[in-house]
This record gives sequence, structure tokens and C-alpha cells, in this order.
Amino acid sequence: MKLWLFILKRVIFAFITIIGITFIVFALLHVGGNNLLLSAYINPRLTGPAREQLIQQLTIRFHLNDPIYVQYFYWLQALFSGDLGYTNTPIYSGPVTTAISLFLPNTITLTIIAAILVWIIGIPLGVYSAVKRDSALDHSVRIFSFTLYSMPIYLIAFILIIIFGIELKILPYAFPINSVLASNLPWYKDGISYPTHIILIDALIHGNLTVFWNALLHAILPSLTLALSILAGIIRILRSSMLEVLDQDYVRLARAKGVPEKVVINLHARRNALIPVLTLYGYTIASLLGGTVVVESIFAYPGIGYWTTQAILVNDVGGIMAAALIFGVVFVIASLILDIVYALIDPRIRY
Amino acid sequence: MIELERNSELKNSLKIFFTNPTAVVGFIIFIIYVIDALIVQFAPWLLGIKNPNVLQENFVNPIPLPPSAQHPLGTTYPGIDLLKAIEAAIRIDLAFSLIIVLGGAAIGATLGIISGYIGGLLDDVLMRITDIFFAIPFLVLAIAVGFALGRTYESMIIALIIVWWPLYARYARAQTLSIKRTPFIDAARIAGVRDFKIMIRHILPNVLPPIFIQISLDLGSVMVIFSTLAFIGLIPNASLPELGYLTSLGLNYLQSAPWAVIFPGLAITLFALAVNLMGDGLRDVIDPRRRSS
Repeated sequence: MKLWLFILKRVIFAFITIIGITFIVFALLHVGGNNLLLSAYINPRLTGPAREQLIQQLTIRFHLNDPIYVQYFYWLQALFSGDLGYTNTPIYSGPVTTAISLFLPNTITLTIIAAILVWIIGIPLGVYSAVKRDSALDHSVRIFSFTLYSMPIYLIAFILIIIFGIELKILPYAFPINSVLASNLPWYKDGISYPTHIILIDALIHGNLTVFWNALLHAILPSLTLALSILAGIIRILRSSMLEVLDQDYVRLARAKGVPEKVVINLHARRNALIPVLTLYGYTIASLLGGTVVVESIFAYPGIGYWTTQAILVNDVGGIMAAALIFGVVFVIASLILDIVYALIDPRIRY
Repeated sequence: MIELERNSELKNSLKIFFTNPTAVVGFIIFIIYVIDALIVQFAPWLLGIKNPNVLQENFVNPIPLPPSAQHPLGTTYPGIDLLKAIEAAIRIDLAFSLIIVLGGAAIGATLGIISGYIGGLLDDVLMRITDIFFAIPFLVLAIAVGFALGRTYESMIIALIIVWWPLYARYARAQTLSIKRTPFIDAARIAGVRDFKIMIRHILPNVLPPIFIQISLDLGSVMVIFSTLAFIGLIPNASLPELGYLTSLGLNYLQSAPWAVIFPGLAITLFALAVNLMGDGLRDVIDPRRRSS
């Protein structure tokens, strides 16, 4: 198959999947009744006759008296023109699109740090438990990853908090930055930093290294929790793929030629063992977004996940529906990009 | 003669399973959880539990107490004895996980077999639908479904079944596709056996064993996810003893009473771990290629 044809096919599939996600969300809104759709689009601060008037306007705009598929079409039109309604939660009240632009950067930051942590913890553990197969190290890595795999993500968070935050007192475990430090910053308000909304980058923009360091410390525990929650799968795949590679003729040849063991493992074997890991790595990182819901609310880290839990607690329709759409769409786009990247790296995937 | 062969095959399978020490440990822990659930269901007084459906709160001493002779695992807010609460909660969590996994497996296996056997356009459409369900993180989908149907335990069960069936559909479909190509299905078709009968009599029995393993593995993951939903507060005003809810009770006492969040969490982890070990052993039994390695 030609590369462009493969990419075209993937893009069409991704588009269909996104339409499907919107359909599920719309169906859920409908099961809950027309009022749910309306309440997602009404600014919560609006009261009295103005509110009544808006309801009438919305009824006409979304064709609420017409059949369901007509309603779906007009709702979809609103979505694609960027109107996702209003959200009213304790941490933010206003248009959903603004909320997304404020909170998504934090979530992406945590996810990226987690991805880096998974890479630097997971690769050596996976490689060495394969190299030292059936050793004490291998067995302890197996037990460690099996236990992690079985743990609810909130328990991982609590164990980290208790060890590093409460007992050792070396890492902070709430908010994205120290609150005393934050109160003196003109560019930081209500848990949101300006202009990029990523506090680590904003601190650098404003040239404040103290804040940068503090924010980095605050990001460690939430990211580490996310990283540990997906680490087990990566280690397992890497171990078995490494074992397979180590058994191959070219590795045996390299050893027979007298190539140092270090070079055999790090240069010859590890590279090939990483290919199947890359696939899993990409998808698990994309699926981490679901984990941020729990982690961000435990660490009071203002990202999309924290906003979602706040929306649940106050029954905020706009927030919940937007969260379902955002998480779904981000995942679809992430896996689309991954598919294309893999196709570029490994031509076999295209066939 | 055939009967004898089957018997020895079963014996052989059991031998493989029970010579794997980690699988046996997993199996024993699993059985302990099941026995606990049964005792709480039929004879709660044996464990000193008055009403297994309600958490026994004590507002005289609401602050969490550390483990002691009277409360072996300590207490959590408001004055709930953790050991008894966890014992009671295991029954609820086990029952919920079973309903969710079996419901999802039944729907998924049915659709997967039909989709794989008939193929064509129906297959394409069904698989695209499962893709869509896979794209939304299960937690978020559960939140949305729970929101539309009302935030109760029942709606959470429905939500998780909706989340869980696509996995089984993919599984059953893949299995069906590989069986469909074998000669005995062709033979049945040529002999004039109806499609429906082929699916029930010939494909289903071959699809079930791997599905069965998946069910046993999923019991753990579902319990973890269900407790997470309860933990983040999706189910308000819960008085049911449930492990995730029990964990959330200790949340405000993280600094002074770490046991209040650790023990309920460990109860889930231990179960999930046991189930995973057991599933690993079962997989060795069914897939002979794994045995040698």
C-alpha cells in the first residue's frame, strides 16, 4: 500500500471515530432529556426573563422540536464551529472552550513528564530483567510490576504521598505551586498561570527560576503516579521482546565474534527490542488521559481531569460532556499521529 | 474411550495449573475472597457484622484510630471498624464486578461471534463501533453514562457494561475468525448445518475458553475501576460498604491516619493481584506454547 493511501485511510477512520464519539455523547445527552442539552449552553449567571429568552433562542437554534437526527445535526454544527457551551464549577465558570484552553496545557504537561519518567524507569528495568533472566533482580522486577499493575491509581498516589510527602517531607503533594510563592506572582491567578497556562514555561518566560524549580517539584508526584500506573505493561512487553531478540542468530554471532556484552545489549539487542514497545508506549501514553482524572483531583492540579471531577460533583453538564468529547478526540488524534509515525518508521505496518 | 481421554486431559490441565506456585497462591487468595463474600451473605454474624449492607458508623468516636486489639485494622471516619467494613465491602465489590464482567462478556461474545462469522459489511460496522468505544477513556465514558442515567450503583454497573463489551467483542471475533477457517466448519456447512447451529454448537465452545480466562483476569481490573468511580465521588450519599468509597472516607486524614486509605486500597490490590496470577496460570494451561518458556 502506498504511504499516502495508508495515511488517507487512517485519517478517514479517525474522522468517523470522532463523529461516533459525538454521537455517543449526543445520545447520552438525549437519554437525560432535552433540558440537559439546554443547560450545557446556558450561561449559569443568566437569570430571569433573559434566561427564558435564551432558552427560546436555543430551542430554535438546536431545532429541539424537530426529530432527533435534525437536532444532532445542529448540535454537531455548533460543536464544529467551536461552541461547546458553558461550564460552571468551583474552579472555573465560563465558556467551555476557554476552560479547555486553561486546563488542557497542565494535563499535557503532566502527561509529558510521566512519559519521560516511564521511559527512564521502564527501559533499564525491562532490559536488565531480560538480560539477567531468572535472577533475583528479574523476580523482584516481576513482582514489582505485577503489584503495580494490580493497584488502583489512587492507592499509588497515596503511597507516594505518604512516603515522599508526609514521612520524608521532600516533595510537595498539592497544587501546582507553593501558595505563598504564588500569591506574589502578578502572572498567576486562581491556579492559572499566564500567558501559556503551563506554569513551567511561564516561569521561564518571566525569568523566575525559583518558581520554575518549585513548580517542577510540585509536578513530580502527580507525574510519577501516572508513570507508575502504566509502567508494568511497558516493562512486561520490553522484557519478553528483549528475550526474543537475545535469542536470535545475529546476537549470537555478535557474541561469538567477541563483541563486548555491553555493546551487544545496548547497541545490537535493545534497538530491535524497542520496536514493539514503541507501539504500546504510544497508546498507553495516550490512554493516560483517563488516569489524569483521578490523579489531578488527588493532587489538586488544575488540569482537564480536575475540572472533570469538579463538574461531576456539581452536576455541571457542559463540563462533563466537554470532557468526554475532549478525552475522546485527543485520544483519536494521538493514535492517528502514532499510526502515521509508525508507518514511517516501520514499513511493515502499512501492509 | 473418548470420555477417558477427556478425563486425562482435564487431569493434565489441572496438574499444569497446580504445579505453578504463583497461580496456586492467586487461586487460594481468590477462594478466600469468595468465601468471605459467602459468609457475609449468609452468616454475617460469624464475622461480627450486624447489617452487611450498611456501614456501621460511630459518631461518638469519629476520628480514625490506629490498629489495635479491638480494631485489628484500625478505624476510619466516622468511627467505622475497617476490618469489618472491608469484609462486608468485598462481598459488594465482588458481586458488582461479576455482574459487570459477565454482562459485558455475554453481550461482547454474542456480537463478536456474529460479526466474525457473518463478516462483510456487518463486521466492518460493528468493528468501527468497538473502535469508537475504545477511543474514549473508559473512566470518562463511565462518567458520561453515569451522568445521563443518574449517579447510582445500578447506573454505574450499566455504564461499565457499556464500557466493557467491546473488548469481548474483539476477542470473540478474532477467535471466531481463526476457527471459521478450520476444515470442520466447512464440513458442517457442506453437510447443510444451519449457520445459527454452527455458531452455537461449533464456534461458541471454542470461543469460550479464552473468554473465560479474560473474565477471570477482568474481575480484578473491573473491581479496580469500579472502586475508582466510587472513590472520585461519582456515587453520592452511598451508605453501602464499598472499597473505593471506604478509601475516600479516609481522604481527609491522610496525614494522621494513613491506614484509613491504605487498607481498603490494599484489599483491592490483593484481589486484583491474585486474579492476575491465577489468570496467568490458566493461560499456560490453555496455550501450550507458553508452557515451555
